[in-house]
Amino acid sequence: MRAKINRNVQAALADQQLQKNLRSTLGKSVRMRDESVAEVPNWEQLTQYARDVKNQTLSRLDHYLEMLEQKVTAQGGKVIWAETGQDAVQFIVDLARQKKIGKLVKSKSMLSEEIHLNSMLERARIESIETDLGEYIVQLAGETPSHLLAPALHKSRQEIADLFVRELGMEPSDDVGDITSTARRILREHFLTARMGVTGVNFAVAETGTIVIVENEGNARLSASVPQIHVALMGIEKVIPRTRDLAVFLKVLIRSATGQKMTSYVNFINGPRRSEELAGPDEYYLVLVDNGRSKILADRFLRQTLACIRCGACQNICPVYQRIGGHAYESTYQGPIGAILTPQLTSHAAAPEHAFASSLCGACQEVCPVKIEIPHILLKLREQSQSEKKTKATHFPLEKLVMGLWAQVMCSPALYAGFGRWTRRAWRVLGKKGRLSWLWAPLSRWSKHRDVPRLAPRSFRQLYRSLEE
Amino acid sequence: MGSRSVMLDRIRRACAGADGGELPSRLPDFPNYSDPVAQFRQEFEAVGGVFLDGRGSGQLAESLSTVIRDSDSTQVYWESEAMFPKYSIPYQRDKAGQGSVKLLLYSRHPDLKVEFPLSLESRPYGKSALAESSLSISPARFGIAETGTIVHEVGPGIGRLFSLLPPARLALLSERDLIMNSAEFFADRLAEQRGSVLTLITGPSRTADIEKTLVVGVHGPTKMFVILTP
Repeated sequence: MRAKINRNVQAALADQQLQKNLRSTLGKSVRMRDESVAEVPNWEQLTQYARDVKNQTLSRLDHYLEMLEQKVTAQGGKVIWAETGQDAVQFIVDLARQKKIGKLVKSKSMLSEEIHLNSMLERARIESIETDLGEYIVQLAGETPSHLLAPALHKSRQEIADLFVRELGMEPSDDVGDITSTARRILREHFLTARMGVTGVNFAVAETGTIVIVENEGNARLSASVPQIHVALMGIEKVIPRTRDLAVFLKVLIRSATGQKMTSYVNFINGPRRSEELAGPDEYYLVLVDNGRSKILADRFLRQTLACIRCGACQNICPVYQRIGGHAYESTYQGPIGAILTPQLTSHAAAPEHAFASSLCGACQEVCPVKIEIPHILLKLREQSQSEKKTKATHFPLEKLVMGLWAQVMCSPALYAGFGRWTRRAWRVLGKKGRLSWLWAPLSRWSKHRDVPRLAPRSFRQLYRSLEE
Repeated sequence: MGSRSVMLDRIRRACAGADGGELPSRLPDFPNYSDPVAQFRQEFEAVGGVFLDGRGSGQLAESLSTVIRDSDSTQVYWESEAMFPKYSIPYQRDKAGQGSVKLLLYSRHPDLKVEFPLSLESRPYGKSALAESSLSISPARFGIAETGTIVHEVGPGIGRLFSLLPPARLALLSERDLIMNSAEFFADRLAEQRGSVLTLITGPSRTADIEKTLVVGVHGPTKMFVILTP
C-alpha cells in the first residue's frame, strides 16, 4: 500500500472541527514543553549527552542487544527475535493460541501500530483491548492514532462523548471526568479477566536487562502486572547501555513530550514475578523487532533517525502537522519524524511524498531532545527518492531548465537586479488593491491557497544607495 | 532459532566499522536543594499529591488518621510487617497468619481514627480484595526531591498489584531516604533492583488524552498521600 499525503490536504484544511482540535491542543503542548525546557539551565548539555549515548549504542547495537538478551534470560524472561513485523505478530498469535487465550489487554505501543498487531489479532479471533484512554477512544471509533502521545488528539470532547454514548451506552455527558470514569470502569473489568498483557518499551537497559515504560495513566503497569503473561514489544533501537543514562533520557523525554517534570509512573521491569513475590505474571517475553531498522542502521548519516525516543515534540511544533494533523500522512508515524521514518522503514515507492511534506523550516530539529537533523535527513531522502525515480521522470527537463535559468540570474548582479525590477513592476501591474492573489498556471498551484507576498517598492541596493547618500 | 542469528548478523554488518564515539563518562549536573523536604513537598503537591509531616512526636498517628479520613477509608492494607519497625509504628497482630506469605496485613478503622498499637489481622491476598479496599500503605525506598517522586519496589512477600489496584495509596517516606535528584538515584543508589518491578511514582494516575484536559485517577489510584517520618 502506498501512503500519500497531498490528496488528503484539502480535506484536512476544510475540516473545521479538526482545525479547531489541532489549534487548541498543539498550541498548549508547545507552550508546556517550552516552559518546562526553559527551567533547565543545562538543557543543551543534557540533550548532547542523550545523543552521544545513542550514537555510541547504535554503533555497537549487536553487542548491547546480546547483553540485554543475556540479562533478561538470566532473570527468567524469554527473548524473541523478530526480523519483521509479521514475525512478531505471529509469535504473539501462536503464544495466545497455545495458552488458549481469547482476550489480551494492551498498553500504548507505536510499534504495535507499525506492525498492525490489532488487525492481525482480530483476524486470528483474539480480542485485543487497548487500555490507554486515547488508544481506547481511537479503537472504539475504528480509527488509528493521529499523534505519538495523544492518539485521539484529532477528536473533540463532544465527539468522544457521543462515541461513548453510542458504543458503550454511557449516560449523555460531555464532562471529561465522566468519560474517563466510564473507560476506567470498563477497562478495569478487562484487566481483571485478561490473561495476557502486551506493552511497549521506552528504554531497555543492557547492563541490567531492565525494560522501562513511561506513562501517566497506570494502564501499562496494570497490563504488566495483572495478567499471567506479559509480552513486551520493542524496536531494536530502544536499548541503552547503562542505568545511569536513564537520569538524562527520562528528563529530556518527559519534558519534551508533555512538559511534565516526571510522569505519574515510570516502570522498571526485570523479568516475570519472582517465586517469593505475591503477584505478577509468571511468564515474560521480550520481543526484539527489526522490521526495517537494520537497513536504516547501515547508512552512517541516516542512522541518527534511530536515535528517536518518540517524544512527539517535532509533531507539536511542525507547521505542516499543525495544519493537516496526523491522519493525512496515511502512515503510523506522522509529522517530521514520520516524514523521515516512514520512507526508511518501508521504501520511497511506498511513501513517495513523505520526504517532501515539509517546508524545511527546522523547528523540529530545534526541539528534538536527541538532536536529530531532521531537515538534513529530509534533503538526503529527497535526493534518494529523485534519483530512484530519475529514469521515468517526465517533469525533470522543465525543472532543470527553470533551475538552470535561475542559477544564471543568481550568478549575475546585473541580471538579478533586472529580474527584481521586472518582478516589482509586474506585481504593481497585476496586483489589485495592494493584493496579488492569482498567477498563471503552473504557478497558480501556489497562488491558489495564498496571496503572493507584497514586494518592497525599492530593492535592497536602492535603499543602500540612498542611505550612503 | 534461525532469525536470531540472521538478525544479529545483519545488525553486526550494519554497525561494522562505525565510529559512534565513546559513552559519556560523567552525567551532566542535576539540581541540588538547600531544603530538600520543601522541594519534595512543592513538587509532590504540584502534581496533586497530599503531603503530611509525621516527624514530630505523635504526628505519625495523627497524619495516618488524616489520610484515612481524607481518603474515606475504613479498610487499610499494609505492604509488609517490616514497615512497622522501620517507621517505629507500634503494632500487634493475630497469631493465625504469622509466617505465611500469602496473606495481607489488614487493619480496620471504623471511626476513621488510628490508635497505636495498631491491631492487625491477616487476609488472603487476592485481586478482588485489593480492588475494593480503600487504602494501601507501603514504604518508599527513596524519595526524590527534584520531582516529588517516590521510589517503590516489589520484593519478597510483596505483589505487583498491592499499590496499584486500591483507589487510594499512601507511601511512608523516611527523611533519611530523601535524596536530591534522579541522577543521584540512578547513578548511586539503584545499585541493584531487588525485585521484579520498581516504579517511580509521582502523584496520582492521570490523563490528558481528551483535549489536553487533565483528569486525575484513570487506571491507578485516584488519591496519593505521602507521610514524611524521621
